[in-house]
Amino acid sequence: MRAIDRSLASCHTCGLLLQLTPGKHTSCPRCGDAVHLRKTNSIRNTWALLLAAIAMYLPANVLPIMTVTSLGNTQSDTIMSGVIYFLKHGDWPLALVIFTASVLVPLLKMLALTYLLLSVQRKSPLRKNQRTRLYRITELVGRWSMVDVFVVALMAALVQVGELATIQPAMGAVAFASVVILTMLAAMAFDPRLIWDNHGVHDGNT
Amino acid sequence: MATPDNPRDTNAVAEAVIDEEHKGFPVIWLLPLVAVLVGAWLIYKTVSETGPSITISFETAEGIQAGKTRIKYRDVEVGKVDSVNFSDDISRILLKVVMNPGTKDFLTDQTRFWVVKPRIGAGGVSGLGTLVSGAYIAMEPSQEGKPAEKFIGLEKPPVVTADVEGTSYQLRAKKLGSVSIGAPVYFRQFDVGEITEYRLSDDHSHVDIGFFVRAPHDQYIREGTRFWNAGGVNLTLSATGMQLEMESIVSLLTGGIAFETLPKHADSPAAQAGTVFTLYDNHGDILEDPITIAHTFITRYSGSVRGLAPGAPVEFRGIRLGTVKSIEIGYDPEHEGVTIPIVLIDLEPERLQNFALVDKAVSAVEIQEETLRETVKRVAYAVREKGMRARLQTGNLITGALYVDLEFFPDADPASLVMDGEYPEIPTLPNPLEGILIGFNKIIDKLEAARLEDTLSNLNELMASTNELVGTLGQNAPALASELQATIEEAHATLSSIRAMASTDGEIGNELYNALVEITAAARSIRVMSEYLERHPEALIKGKGNP
Repeated sequence: MRAIDRSLASCHTCGLLLQLTPGKHTSCPRCGDAVHLRKTNSIRNTWALLLAAIAMYLPANVLPIMTVTSLGNTQSDTIMSGVIYFLKHGDWPLALVIFTASVLVPLLKMLALTYLLLSVQRKSPLRKNQRTRLYRITELVGRWSMVDVFVVALMAALVQVGELATIQPAMGAVAFASVVILTMLAAMAFDPRLIWDNHGVHDGNT
Repeated sequence: MATPDNPRDTNAVAEAVIDEEHKGFPVIWLLPLVAVLVGAWLIYKTVSETGPSITISFETAEGIQAGKTRIKYRDVEVGKVDSVNFSDDISRILLKVVMNPGTKDFLTDQTRFWVVKPRIGAGGVSGLGTLVSGAYIAMEPSQEGKPAEKFIGLEKPPVVTADVEGTSYQLRAKKLGSVSIGAPVYFRQFDVGEITEYRLSDDHSHVDIGFFVRAPHDQYIREGTRFWNAGGVNLTLSATGMQLEMESIVSLLTGGIAFETLPKHADSPAAQAGTVFTLYDNHGDILEDPITIAHTFITRYSGSVRGLAPGAPVEFRGIRLGTVKSIEIGYDPEHEGVTIPIVLIDLEPERLQNFALVDKAVSAVEIQEETLRETVKRVAYAVREKGMRARLQTGNLITGALYVDLEFFPDADPASLVMDGEYPEIPTLPNPLEGILIGFNKIIDKLEAARLEDTLSNLNELMASTNELVGTLGQNAPALASELQATIEEAHATLSSIRAMASTDGEIGNELYNALVEITAAARSIRVMSEYLERHPEALIKGKGNP
């Protein structure tokens, strides 16, 4: 038995349990906030945000995220060039952290969301528990990708020593921040209950 | 959708308010659209801002560091060396260079690159700044030519960079002389350009020299401008004397060329870039117009031609008419089997203004033929009517250099231009020194020609009469001798008597002796008296008195 089966939902704001009319836009009579059985247009919104994130992922990795000007030498670094730099200098743990947080995690996040969306749309009955866990991890881990953006922001603010050294954020940082924010929004737009809705169909008939 | 089956539950649950449907375009789909557009724009911007990547090859990578060495134009960075690699056959160094955005239009096959490092060259010391900053690659952009991505770097900085305004020309020289790259080009001893290159011509028949004249001096390069080698010291010893030429101390060390436009060529049109000029050996050479027409004459000399060299002048009353072409040896037509020096001289009618026969003829060939005919005609006239002769003259007493002098000798034996040989022959006279010898000979000849034998017979007659005179003298001699003897004896007697008188024993001698004794006594008494008077001057008045 699910709340949706009875068209019951509690208000997201004030928690009042409401009897909804299916197929209609409804709002809470007490606080006036909109009430939905599921997040509205969850799959559509998630897809849109996810696609936007994917679109920004390419420039985020190709473009330099910061420009270091030191003693007249200008050097632009992309995320991967930074990883390679640390790897070459033997700082492989640092390289691993940056690679994981900045390259792998956003990528896996997008793959995970894609998988979740496709599986929900195909009404896949398989591995619902795992998929739910995947969603939780996705939502939890997403924000840590912002580390890179923070590093760039802090460095750009701190290292302004004129001719000696100047760090400026480059367009790659903007793109990368967009990727992280868009994936976070996409994860938020996704309604994990959709994973179990099919379950209900199967179970409901039994 | 399942319907509530328990009314109690339904009653306990509040009804949700049904809102109005507002269907519209799902705005959320604009987001990926915007993201795609922004991403595409970002990438396009970055790619378009990335400058062209080019390859420059050098012989060595001295002072070049991947990722550090800059490409500069006018000391502004326009690119950076990305990597340093070998070429496939490891004979050269390939520099992969990432240029700044916007430089693509300036990368053509005319664009030049070279490494700037400290250098000491002909033009001075350059690139000292790179001692501190490290070497960099200088670029000389060019918008002409085809776009290129591969370049061959210059091993030496170009002498003239494109940003210097001016014009390049070519010179053709028989030999390189003291010309070196970077050597100055002088105009009125003022440095107005540089030698940019030199190389042997393809067939190695001459040397091609490229040079550059800076604006605005290049407007003085006319088609008639003459160039000469101004390098080093030019010392010329010739029949005209000793000449020492030196353009400047710099040119002494590095060589150089100088140019001058003679007043008569000042109106010639300005020379186009790349015009090929002839490089003369020295300043003196440019003053003479190139000789295009010359007629060879033959002259034979009985004397020595030592001191005469090909190229020596042929002059008429000090005005140059031609040049000694060659000195050979040939048969003397007057004496069978005898060889004498033969000097071929070129008479150059262009040296004379009145030989301009442009009006009479149409083509250059005709002018030349007509001029040569006229030359022979005039020479023949001069020889026949005016007694013109060629002779060797000493041009320089120190060096003994000779020149051929043409002069009118109205008194000379009549002769005419001999036309039967390969060249017309101008009759000659011996040179003045020989002339003096000949003068002596003539005196001797004249002496010979005088009637010396008559004189000798006269002399004989004179001698005979003298003999006669002496003969008569001989006949009267004994009488004269005896008289002389008597005279001598008498004289002897007289002298001995005089001697007898003069001796102390003689009369005169004794008298003289006594007189002398008296004089001595008198002198003594005078002395005694004078001494007494000195002591007793009163004695003069009082008398001697008693002592």
